[in-house]
Amino acid sequence: MGAQHIRRWGGATSSQHGHPDGEPGAPGPAAEPSNEEEPDARFTLANERTFLAWNRTALALVVAGLGIVQLLPPFPGVPWGRHALGVPLIVLGAVVSVAAYVEWRQNQTALRRSAPMPQSVLPRILVVTITGVAALSAVVLLVSAVR
Amino acid sequence: MALPDDPEDLSPGAAAERTRLAWQRTAIAFGAVGLVMLREEPAAGALVLAATPLIWALGRYVSSAAPPQQRSRRLLLVTVAVTGVAVVAVVAAFIGHGLTRFR
Repeated sequence: MGAQHIRRWGGATSSQHGHPDGEPGAPGPAAEPSNEEEPDARFTLANERTFLAWNRTALALVVAGLGIVQLLPPFPGVPWGRHALGVPLIVLGAVVSVAAYVEWRQNQTALRRSAPMPQSVLPRILVVTITGVAALSAVVLLVSAVR
Repeated sequence: MALPDDPEDLSPGAAAERTRLAWQRTAIAFGAVGLVMLREEPAAGALVLAATPLIWALGRYVSSAAPPQQRSRRLLLVTVAVTGVAVVAVVAAFIGHGLTRFR
């Protein structure tokens, strides 16, 4: 298969190939039986930066949750208020970090196969949890004001 | 002179540099979390602060063209570290100043 490929490539009028100018593009990887190959380094790096950005988001969530629990004065009449708001944010931080790694792997695999990029679930997780925490903080504040 | 199809081709080193900076930002974020923790939980904060240069070094290592297998393992290390910080934070949230009070 490989030999045949090279022979065909050697012919100047090979209409089957996408190199009209007969540029000696690497015939090696294209002749491999598996259609996986390492993607362009720039794609790998971009994927890595996305992973790192999600991890910084995760750290910000953890520190926000920790700040709510430890630095905020307690809500009057709502002793559980700070934990109810802070702990979900910290847990979300852990979830975001793990999901970012899983998605980094999926993206890397897709790049290697030149397949379409899988859709990310992270924005949805983030939106749902932050909306929930916002609603919960409104409840905590209301309960605290009533008591 | 025609511009290349991809603007990245103008300076191929830019992508690597952006990635190095992203690693440094991540390490700095780690250090910031450690400092915040130090205030209430000195032991946990010191642990997180100790991991900061590790992340920095990891970034330098990875950006110098690590093979795919090792790259995967090093990024997993970042996730393990961030998840570990979250676990410590949850424990700290429930035990309060347990780590220092019982000493």
